[in-house]
Parts: sequence; C-alpha cells; structure tokens
Amino acid sequence: MSRLGIEGVTKSFGRTVAVDGVSLDVGHGEFLVLLGPSGCGKSTLLRMIAGLTPLSAGRIRLDDTDITHTPPRDRDLAMVFQSYALYPHLSVARNIGFPLRARRRTRPEIRGRVAEVAEVLDLGELLERRPRELSGGQRQRVALGRALVRDPGAFLMDEPLSNLDAKLRSSTRAELTGLHRRLGSTFVYVTHDQVEAMTMATRIALLNAGRLEQVGTPAEVYDEPASVFVAGFLGSPPMNLMDARIVSRNGELRAVAQDIDVPLGIAGELPPRDVVLGVRPEHLAPAATPMLRAQVRMVENLGSDEVAHCTVGSAAVSLRGPRPLGMSTGDALGLGVAPHHIHLFDRAGGRRLTWSPDPASEPFAASPEPNSPYKPAHTLR
Amino acid sequence: MFVEVAAPPRPMDKAIKAARPSLPRAIRRAAPPYLYLAPALILLGIWVYRPLAQTAQLSFYSWNLLPTTPMEPVGLDNYRRMMDSPELGDALWRTLEVILGLLPFSIVIPVVVGLLTRRLGGRSRAVYQALVFSPMLVAPVAGAAVWGWLLDPRGGVVDRATGTSVNWLQESGYAQVAIIMITGWHVLGFAVLVVAAALSGINGDYADAAALDGASRGQITRWITLPLLSPTLVFLTLMTVLLSAQWTFPLIDSLTQGGPADSTTNVYYLLWDYGFRSYDAGMGAAAGMLLFVGFGLVAAALVWLSERLAFHDN
Ligand SMILES: Nc1ncnc2c1ncn2[C@@H]1O[C@H](COP(=O)(O)OP(=O)(O)OP(=O)(O)O)[C@@H](O)[C@H]1O
Ligand SMILES: [Mg+2]
Repeated sequence: MSRLGIEGVTKSFGRTVAVDGVSLDVGHGEFLVLLGPSGCGKSTLLRMIAGLTPLSAGRIRLDDTDITHTPPRDRDLAMVFQSYALYPHLSVARNIGFPLRARRRTRPEIRGRVAEVAEVLDLGELLERRPRELSGGQRQRVALGRALVRDPGAFLMDEPLSNLDAKLRSSTRAELTGLHRRLGSTFVYVTHDQVEAMTMATRIALLNAGRLEQVGTPAEVYDEPASVFVAGFLGSPPMNLMDARIVSRNGELRAVAQDIDVPLGIAGELPPRDVVLGVRPEHLAPAATPMLRAQVRMVENLGSDEVAHCTVGSAAVSLRGPRPLGMSTGDALGLGVAPHHIHLFDRAGGRRLTWSPDPASEPFAASPEPNSPYKPAHTLR
Repeated sequence: MFVEVAAPPRPMDKAIKAARPSLPRAIRRAAPPYLYLAPALILLGIWVYRPLAQTAQLSFYSWNLLPTTPMEPVGLDNYRRMMDSPELGDALWRTLEVILGLLPFSIVIPVVVGLLTRRLGGRSRAVYQALVFSPMLVAPVAGAAVWGWLLDPRGGVVDRATGTSVNWLQESGYAQVAIIMITGWHVLGFAVLVVAAALSGINGDYADAAALDGASRGQITRWITLPLLSPTLVFLTLMTVLLSAQWTFPLIDSLTQGGPADSTTNVYYLLWDYGFRSYDAGMGAAAGMLLFVGFGLVAAALVWLSERLAFHDN
C-alpha cells in the first residue's frame, strides 16, 4: 500500500454524527495518530477505513483506486480492535495464526511466525491458553500479535496499549515504533493517550466531536495548537487559557484582564478585541515585572516536577517547574512569560490567531480549519 | 555509620485472624437461599421424586391398575420379560429413527435459516421468524387432526399435490415418515428461534476481525460462527434426543395409535401401551425405569459435552 486518501468522510448513526466531513491524507510509511477525547469518533473513523462500517458520505482511496465499497478482506489491512475481538474458542497460538491460516499458509510456516511474534510480545508461555484465561493486558498483546503476524499494507490499531501497565506500555511502544521503522509500513493508530501520540506519531490528527481540529507533527500540534480545543487537550496539565482583551498601549499590543497585563511584544495599533490568551504551564515563571498576579491554591508533586495550581483573576492557571518550586498554598505571585510563548485564540470561534506583520494584509488572521476552505474571518483591525 | 532503611513490617509468624461471626449470625446469613428454595424443592419432591420412587417400586410388582386387585411382588420378572420381548428392541430402533429423522428439523434447517436471515433487516427478519415459529403455537392434537385430513388417501391435499395415492398413515414405511415430518414441522420454529437468538448473541466483532484477517464468508461460518454456536447446537441435540419421543406422542396417539403393525411404536408409546392399554402396570413401570436410566446417561453425556464446548465469551 502507498497512500491512503480519506475524503470528506462522514458517518451518522441516526441523529448523532459520529464523524463529520473528515479529510486526511496518510502517506506511505506514515505513523498517523488519531487523537481525541472519548466519543469523538476515532473508532468509527478507523472502522470506516477498515471497511467494517459503511460511510454515510465521502470516499476512501488507496493510491488512485476508490476502495469505499471494497469488502474488508480485500483491503489488505490488519486491525487491532478496541475490544480485542479474540476468537474465544481458539488458543492464543491459533488466534495469532488465524490470518495466516485464512491465507492458506503451510503449518510449519504458521508455527514459525507465531513463535516469532509471541517472542516479541512475550507471549511464549501463554500460547496454549484460551483468551478467557488471560489478563486484560495479555489479551491486548494477543490482539496485537494477530495484527503483527503478517505484513499488511497498513496497520489500523484502536488503543492497542490502553490496558498495559506503564512499563509494558513503554516497551511495547518502543517495539511498535521500531517495527514501524523496520517495516516502513503505514500505521493509523487511535489513542487518547497524548504521551503515545507525541512519542510515536509522525503526524497527529486531533478529532473533536467528529471533526478534525488540527493535523500536524507532534511538535506543530504542541507548539502551535490551531484551536482552543487542541491547546486545552495537549500537555499535562494542559495549556492555561484565560479570557483577555487585546488593547494597544503606547504603540504596543497587550492582553489585559483582571490581574492580567501581558505585553505581546508586537508593535502596532489595533481596536480592542476579545481573545483567549494561552500559556503553557512550563512557560510561566515568577518574574520581576509581574504580568499575571496569581494566588497559589495547591501544589502537586509529580516526582521530578511540581505543579502549582493558582487563580489569576477568575481563571484557573497552573504552573509547572522542576521540584522544588519553592511555592506554597496561599502565596501571592507575580508571574511572567516570554512573548514567543504566548498563544492567542479567537474568543468566539476558538481558532488560533497568528500575527502577520505586513500591514497591507490582514494583521491577525485566524488559522483556517483543516477541512474548510480558508476563511480569513476573525481578523484584528 | 550507615543505617539501612527498614522495610514496612510484615507480621509473618503471627497469623492474623479476622473476627468470625457468631454461630447464630452465620446461620441467619446462610439460611435465606435455602428458605427461598424450599417451596420449589418440596413441590419437586412431591410431584417428581416421590412418583419416581413409587414407579421404581411398582416395577417389581405385577398389577393391573384395578384398586380392587392386590399388587403381587414378582422380583425382577418384569425386567426379564421386557428384555425377552422383541417389542422393546424394535421400539428402541424406531425411537432412534425418529431422533435421526428430527435432527434435520431441529439443527440443520434452523442453522441454515438462521445464517440466511441474519442478513435480513430487522423488521423483515422478525416477520420471517414469526412465520416459521407459528406452527409451534398450534396444539399438537389440533395439528394432527388437520394433517390427518391433509394426508387422507381419498382426496387429501398432499396426495393430490404430489400426484400419488399413498396411504400415508396406513402403510408401514410411510406412517413413520409422516409422523417425523409432522413433528419436524412442529418443532422447526422453536429451533429456528433458539438458533437465531444464539446467533444474535455472538459478538459481531469476531466476524469483523476474521474478515479483516482475510477469511472468506464460508471460512468465517466454518471457523468462527459454527464453533461459537456449538453449545446451542448441543443443547438442541439434547432436546431432540430426550424429547422427540414425547413430541411424537400426541401425533402417534391421534393418527396411527402405534400402527400400522407397530411401525410407529416408539419407546414412549410402548410404555404407554404396556401401562394403559395392556393394563400391565408393572411392565410399564419397568420400561419407565429403563428409559429413565438410559436417557439419563445420554443426557449426562451431552451436558458434559456442552460444558466442554461452552466458551465464556467476554
Ligand atoms: N453503532 C453505533 N450506533 C450509534 N451510535 C454510535 C455507534 N457507534 C458509535 N456511536 C457514537 O458515535 C460516537 C463516536 O463513537 P466512537 O466509538 O467512534 O468513539 P471513540 O472516539 O472511539 O471513543 P473512545 O475513545 O471512547 O473509544 C459516539 O458518540 C458514539 O456514541
Ligand atoms: Mg474507540
């Protein structure tokens, strides 16, 4: 397989729209992670790619062939189901070997491949057991093994690591990344774990309520979140979001609100405008000239780091730094942030605002939504 | 100096004992399930196990069912007589014929129908299943009367439709076939319903996963669906083996009375014949005991098999 083209794919179940006009191009050898909160349509999208759920609208292409109506068995995909879907009457070995058996491979070949995969996933001792005799994490590894036993055009994985313990999860993560590098095959990988998404993905597609919010490399989605939703989804704790108003003062733009007065480091004159101000917790630090006046509510110990949960005006703001932070509950702090760590979002639409220095064009343009034609709405003038 | 950090204490030697509830309290806690079960157990005892014990007792006596005649103890005579008579072997053979003849109706056709109707939409499937099920709602004797009329050699619909003049219920070979067909018509709907329920209980993810794993529709049916259905199929086999003689009874009694020339007399009918037509209660009881033990063994084997086949699917 080379390129997977998802074009305007929509799925509604009665009145609920599970996936709403998603367009995505998955290049050959790409590791695309579908990330989003529970119920945002990740599994549904994956099942549509697999051919298990018919589309309500849109089409799916493989290179230049339209495979929208191709039955699943002819798509050459391997899938790990969220529910594992291990065949309950077959032993672990026969579960893993099933795809090869269906392809009429010889017994010795099947046995050899199954042994190899079991070795990688540390399932060697469990090969003769039935699925019901396994723990949740072991079942999940068997499901992974059934996908890895052959070399399909693309792997579709629906939260394949959600039930593993932290250590096993990170080793399996490394195993999958290594496999991806070795085989160079395409992965579409569903998760709601952002660590998985950040560490494994070549690109992340963020879904919210069936719609695509942003598609980009892990660095892009983390450093330049395209919407309030993305900003508030990634990071732990996620980005601080505060309602503020942009005003010009002495030829310089500032975001102001109660207890907030942040210079944006942009020279210019603009009429006031309502925005959402975003700052990552790790980019906040006590400063000599305070921009945010914060009151510490609680300090959390994360081991290597500490997180101070504060209130700024009416907003909840958290600050993350190496331990010890030297803050305690009740402290009043003056916090500062470097201008290049400031994110601005449109208050009404929630899309990211970027500064374009050319005064002839739109000074502040909302970044376009991934699926909509570029709309230069929300400009600061 | 260095001081080692001590591990949290772990009292290994002194076994820690949780407080045990006092005896009256333990009894009070354990008793309710037995109390709830008691009425059912008492009724079972009165209506099932007491008659069973009495039957066992009766099988060692000779008695003609008349309250005025005394019961005579005859030891194992009833059993000996029964073993010696050729009727029993013939009846057993015919029972086997009935069971084998009914299996297509209770297993094969329901599975085929179930697999085919699975692809129908919700409403049309329900209508279809209701149509197949409806014969089950017809009282056996009423069904028998109608079939007797349909199979009539003088102008019956069946003969007219097939263009033959077979006397279905009065010719040795045909009578057994007719009984099997009518019984099959009766139980088919029930079996279809059971199979359809079992099929809809199989998680669709298995078939989805198998399709992605490259299995064809036939392979999915053979390798996934039928194995997952097998506990239900064993259950239906059990029902057929244990109950087919009973299912046929009302039809035999109203259509052929075991004839012609005993060609439709199976073990149940024979038992009834001993007891209530020959008025030989001891023989009837002895036949009943033999059947009880024989079918009990078959049932135990099938139950064991279905336990082996049950996959706890979660
Ligand atoms: N068969 C169905 N019928 C009706 N609604 C459905 C069906 N399948 C999914 N939905 C709805 O579609 C939406 C998306 O479901 P989906 O399973 O794709 O979520 P998800 O992103 O995979 O969530 P999770 O992370 O919890 O697995 C949900 O609101 C769900 O209730
Ligand atoms: Mg899901």
